[in-house]
Amino acid sequence: MTTAPSTQFARTRRVMRGWVDGLTRIGTQAEFYGRTVGSVGTAFRLYRREMVRLIAGMSMGTGALAVIGGTTVIVGFLTLSTGALIAVQGYNQFSSVGVEALTGFASAYFNVRLIAPVIAGVGLAATIGAGATAQLGAMRINEEIDALEVMGIRSIAYLASSRVVAGVIVVIPLYCVAVITAFLAARFGTTAVYGQSTGVYDHYFNTFLNPTDLIWSFCQALAMAMVIMLVHTYYGFTASGGPAGVGEAVGRAVRTSLISAVFVVLFLALAIYGQSGNFHLSG
Amino acid sequence: MIDDTGTGVRHDVAGDVGGNGDGRAVKAVTVVDGLGTPPGDEMTAAGHQTTTVPNRAPGLTDWTRGLRGFRPGGAVVEPVRAVGGFFAMALDTFVLMPRRPFAWREFLLQSWFVARVSLLPTLMLAIPFTVLTVFTFNILLVEFGAADYSGTGAAYGTITQIGPVVTVLVVAGAGATAMCADLGARTIREELDALRVMGINPIQALVVPRVLAATAVATLLSSVVMLVGLAGSFVFSVYIQHVTPGSFVSGLTVLTHATDVVISMSKAALFGLAAGLIACYKGISVEGGPAAVGNAVNETVVLTFMALFAINIIATAVGVKATQ
Repeated sequence: MTTAPSTQFARTRRVMRGWVDGLTRIGTQAEFYGRTVGSVGTAFRLYRREMVRLIAGMSMGTGALAVIGGTTVIVGFLTLSTGALIAVQGYNQFSSVGVEALTGFASAYFNVRLIAPVIAGVGLAATIGAGATAQLGAMRINEEIDALEVMGIRSIAYLASSRVVAGVIVVIPLYCVAVITAFLAARFGTTAVYGQSTGVYDHYFNTFLNPTDLIWSFCQALAMAMVIMLVHTYYGFTASGGPAGVGEAVGRAVRTSLISAVFVVLFLALAIYGQSGNFHLSG
Repeated sequence: MIDDTGTGVRHDVAGDVGGNGDGRAVKAVTVVDGLGTPPGDEMTAAGHQTTTVPNRAPGLTDWTRGLRGFRPGGAVVEPVRAVGGFFAMALDTFVLMPRRPFAWREFLLQSWFVARVSLLPTLMLAIPFTVLTVFTFNILLVEFGAADYSGTGAAYGTITQIGPVVTVLVVAGAGATAMCADLGARTIREELDALRVMGINPIQALVVPRVLAATAVATLLSSVVMLVGLAGSFVFSVYIQHVTPGSFVSGLTVLTHATDVVISMSKAALFGLAAGLIACYKGISVEGGPAAVGNAVNETVVLTFMALFAINIIATAVGVKATQ
């Protein structure tokens, strides 16, 4: 290849080829996502047992992660630490202006609207998502996906669609755990560590906890889970380049899905809360 | 059905360490069984195949081997051994850090590599994070009638939390995963053993420069996140939410001072150090085939995130005390 004579406008061509490749990649991804979502019905019809198995596997996690308690404990831990963060920063900042009673309000407001969705998305991408990429990537490297195709099993429905559905189902109890641990950590930090009376905390917490917001935040989590699982199955499906390739695919998938998850949360928040904010201080 | 899910979980717990051989063997089994087999069953077969694997680990003494066969004992011993191994490697790394010869070339290459893979995701992640925070803060401030203070909220959120946390997510998601994949692939190709045979300490030649590179790049990246975050929140507040630009800028320094910036950057350095150490440990302790490398990278991401959030809460509490 190095002996070929150089063509005209070599650099321009190279740049153009880079752009064209990028466009092609976006097209292939979009096609994969379309086929995955389109095959959900097939997955429900033909591969229900595999789906149940995946749901069980996802809530437990794989390898060493199952030893420390599985996905639920990990996501719970992440939101636990951020809930405690509300206690630390909220209480200290509020008490510097003399309104530390409002820490319960900070927990009810920021946990629901900002912290729980974002952190749950981070946890999902790291645990379920990265696990799916690692599994599918290893299957691709071992040519197991080709073997599935040869045996007449629809690989996208069997491997990708079922994982997307399983991810969306698993996120429901997972998000419950995430929100509850965030609330409990903020309450524990404020009342037990900083010594605020529980009555004051609970009063402001209950006054400002808006059930509609909580339901919207659930919708954000569901949308995020779907986007994350789609991105991760795509990168696992197209892994190449041996053992290191699987690892790199996991890294690329985590990066992409984090970015897309945060964008999903942002746009949904802008769409849901809008210019007015749907927030009323007077109750 | 219960049995099916049970074995499925056990298959996951066994950790896909089988590699190529098992996958192929499973395919052969299902083909011989005939096409009538429902698709769930071959995974069950895979479960049975891989449960035989965990008896590996050649270099163990007898009493640990005895414990390993016993499942609950294994579940206790395994994480303890991992923690011990991690601290041993971290200690080795710290001891070897000042010792010559320092692997300058590797350090520069790794720093450049981590910075290259992290820069674009950092920008892409910092902007929506800060815009989301500013949006949520501003709803509140507008309700209070204090929209002019939106710069205060933006600066406080960006400097104290978003700066270090976004840096971490990117350094862990982009840099540490790539490091772990690279080291893991080298480990299963037995390149680290080859280095040892040649009298080169792989910790000194590979781990020390990577850990230092992750630390340095995380510190630098956090300043980029802060700049981009503040710029993004300025644009969002001023042009979309119609806050006066002058009051936004003058609000920046009401709650946030130079000490906060210093604390935030040292947090980022700590995070980078932890991410580098975890990635290198997971990379050099890989056993098995491609699936093992994938799992190691997955564990790196999860453990790094957990470590970072734990460090974050402690560092924040210390920082809050220090600034008061």
